[in-house]
Amino acid sequence: MAEEKGYLALVLHAHLPFIKHPEYPDFLEEDWFYEAMVETYLPLLNVFENLTNEGTDFRLTMSLTPPLCNMMSDPLLIDRFRHYLNQRVELSGKEIERTRGTEFEAVAKMYYDKFRRYQDLFENRYHGRILEGFKKFQDMGKLEIITCCATHGYLPLMVHKESVNAQIKIAANDYRSRFGRSPRGIWLAECAYNPGDDKFLRDEGIRFFFTESHGILHGTPRPKYGIYAPVYCPQTGVAAFARDMESAQQVWSAESGYPGDARYREFYRDLGYDLDYDYIKPYLHSDGVRRNIAMKYHKITGKVPLNQKQAYNPHEAREVAAIHAGNFMFNRQKQIEYLSTLLDRKPLVVSMYDAELYGHWWYEGIDFLEYLFKKIYYDQTDIKLITPSEYLEKYPVNQTVQPSMSSWGDKGYHDVWLNSGNDWIYRHLIKAAERMMEMANQFPHADGLLRRALNQLARELLLMQSSDWAFLMTTGTAKEYSTKRTKDHIKRFNELYEQIKGNRINEAYVYDLEQKDSIFQQIDYNVYSSACKEGVLKKYQ
Amino acid sequence: MTQNLSSSALVKPAVKDAQAEADIPASYGKTESYLLPKDPAWLFLFWEITAATIECIKSQYSADVLNAAKTIIRLYDVTGISYFDGTNAVQFYDMPVIFEARSWYINAPATGRSYVADLGYLTADGRFILVARSNQTLLPPGKISDIIDDKWMIVEGDFQKLLKLSGADYIGLGASELMQVIGQRWKLTQLPSSGTPTSWSSFALHLEKPAQPQDEDIWLKADCEIIIYGSASRNATVSINGQIIELKEGKFSIRQHLPAGSVVDLPIKAQNAKGDKVRQINIKALREQGK
Repeated sequence: MAEEKGYLALVLHAHLPFIKHPEYPDFLEEDWFYEAMVETYLPLLNVFENLTNEGTDFRLTMSLTPPLCNMMSDPLLIDRFRHYLNQRVELSGKEIERTRGTEFEAVAKMYYDKFRRYQDLFENRYHGRILEGFKKFQDMGKLEIITCCATHGYLPLMVHKESVNAQIKIAANDYRSRFGRSPRGIWLAECAYNPGDDKFLRDEGIRFFFTESHGILHGTPRPKYGIYAPVYCPQTGVAAFARDMESAQQVWSAESGYPGDARYREFYRDLGYDLDYDYIKPYLHSDGVRRNIAMKYHKITGKVPLNQKQAYNPHEAREVAAIHAGNFMFNRQKQIEYLSTLLDRKPLVVSMYDAELYGHWWYEGIDFLEYLFKKIYYDQTDIKLITPSEYLEKYPVNQTVQPSMSSWGDKGYHDVWLNSGNDWIYRHLIKAAERMMEMANQFPHADGLLRRALNQLARELLLMQSSDWAFLMTTGTAKEYSTKRTKDHIKRFNELYEQIKGNRINEAYVYDLEQKDSIFQQIDYNVYSSACKEGVLKKYQ
Repeated sequence: MTQNLSSSALVKPAVKDAQAEADIPASYGKTESYLLPKDPAWLFLFWEITAATIECIKSQYSADVLNAAKTIIRLYDVTGISYFDGTNAVQFYDMPVIFEARSWYINAPATGRSYVADLGYLTADGRFILVARSNQTLLPPGKISDIIDDKWMIVEGDFQKLLKLSGADYIGLGASELMQVIGQRWKLTQLPSSGTPTSWSSFALHLEKPAQPQDEDIWLKADCEIIIYGSASRNATVSINGQIIELKEGKFSIRQHLPAGSVVDLPIKAQNAKGDKVRQINIKALREQGK
């Protein structure tokens, strides 16, 4: 077999903010999790199962962020997800009858078959513990699971390094408790890197992270291989891998990217709006308002109004996904072949995407990935899939370059998370971080109720630091919810802080927050102490 | 050393949701300020100054001195300084500010440098009275490094090819389209709203400390500068209102005063060498006479 000319690292970032509302019987924004489960996470596992069964070897790197892992193992959310999935199976079953003999029969059947398959996987294969599925493929060496900042906190806008240290340490501990080893890599939230933060990664044994292209291109000194090889950060030796823009554009671009093909499923025409109200009502939220229910029967068709979209043809769409996978692979072969003439080592192309793009947004993206894995394995020898850990084993010697501050957001820096629409939050986020340090320094050995209150204080800070809220305020999507969440955590934090300071902790209040904001059951607030941070930094003085 | 009023500051436009901060603390009872990086050219400073701090300053300086003083941000370039004591900065830049603004976007004089910002009074005789000092913040370089590593020598021609392949031309461009896709991924409503992020206004307001009012009348003084900034492909010639602008790393930025009672037309044009490809963005600004 001919030797490969270069490597492709596929990286998917799977993340959702921690959304759990036990205080309501059902909650709109919790749907984000249920939809992603049934459209992205379970379908991905299904692909891994299929590939493994038929003997197709593959490599994929995936972040499963701590909030997502916490939701995936939360009994209440899993219970509600079961109900959600049951309802989809029931409705799609009814739909087969209703659409019999119409142009929608095939798509109704597709949903029924898929929902049944995912239900079978979830209940019978993973016994309701979806993380076990991911862990299985990691243990097989095919999937590299990496962690992320504890609550997807935006590190460059954290003034206090205690906050950065805590975001990393809490994430690494959470990872260990779920996957039985330390994380080798991390997805910095929004790929936002701030020089020096790699010290906190190193301290947890994390060997690599990812940046936007200019994180390395604007690094010092000039990176010899551009973005086609990782670089090591000075002092720490943590590796930075940069995103390849060419392959990113092919999938992401709204105009020229694959997901815009007319034969793919139309995202905005949803059955939740189309079906008879009395018939669909049991599948809507308790307020009875028509919304998306993640079943869609039409294809993009072209630039026509929603009411003129044509029926979706699952078979045709799958064939298009196969063609696009072939095109993607061909372009990587050409890219790597050309790069290999410029580099004195085998080039590495790092293609990074939001995981939820695949399946949730681009419905056929799951098929695309399955075809891509197969084609790369069976149809060619030019490129080989690789994980960052495998690459670093092959090439342990890399150039030392200080990466530039950067993010993968619009304009490449912090504009999305810091602009006139959301800059007001930092006054409170930074104050809360300062108060958290103050408490951790003041009470190094708390126990009992005080300890519970301090741990909950840390959870409230972490949850308010989720970059998702600032992001959603900027895009205008779910702005009301993201503003409310930010303020709720600020208020809870300040109330708890005053109770602790005033030595009048209300146990019922603490208990209530422990139920609602239940992320990180094993948290230890001491991670916010200045001594903990100094312990990391003194190694580099 | 000092370059008075050499930098510019942006006032936050009043686009934020008025309810956003309604039921959380407006202040925390401590005089302090924090400086955050935004991008290679911009910093964000926010602060709280308590009444007690102002009283304390008033007890140390006469009313005459303070009334004649301007309130300013003094931005220090502290690159390479291990301990900044307020006097050993590489350079500093003053810009007027009103303390009540509580936050300010600051256009940094250079990329890739470290900054500290002070808030304080600049007296008529040039003394600076410190009110609050920020943390230190490093801005990214925003460009390809000039430093080349001996151990990892690069053939210049190959490096240029690699840069192009690496997407050097994409940096900071074309991402808004991407943003729209990501922004809509969990969209709950049927039709997309504008997915582009709100950005700060490009109007810079230079406020001057007014003369003391002579009677019971109220007063208002304001001035205005427009900052136009952007980027273009490196092979393009960019002009603003017919005047050719020099690109630095593919980017440009100009400032123009907008006098009272004026209408300014600022067509921005980019064209290739042959002149057969043209891109144009038109900006108009109107400033009415004061009433």
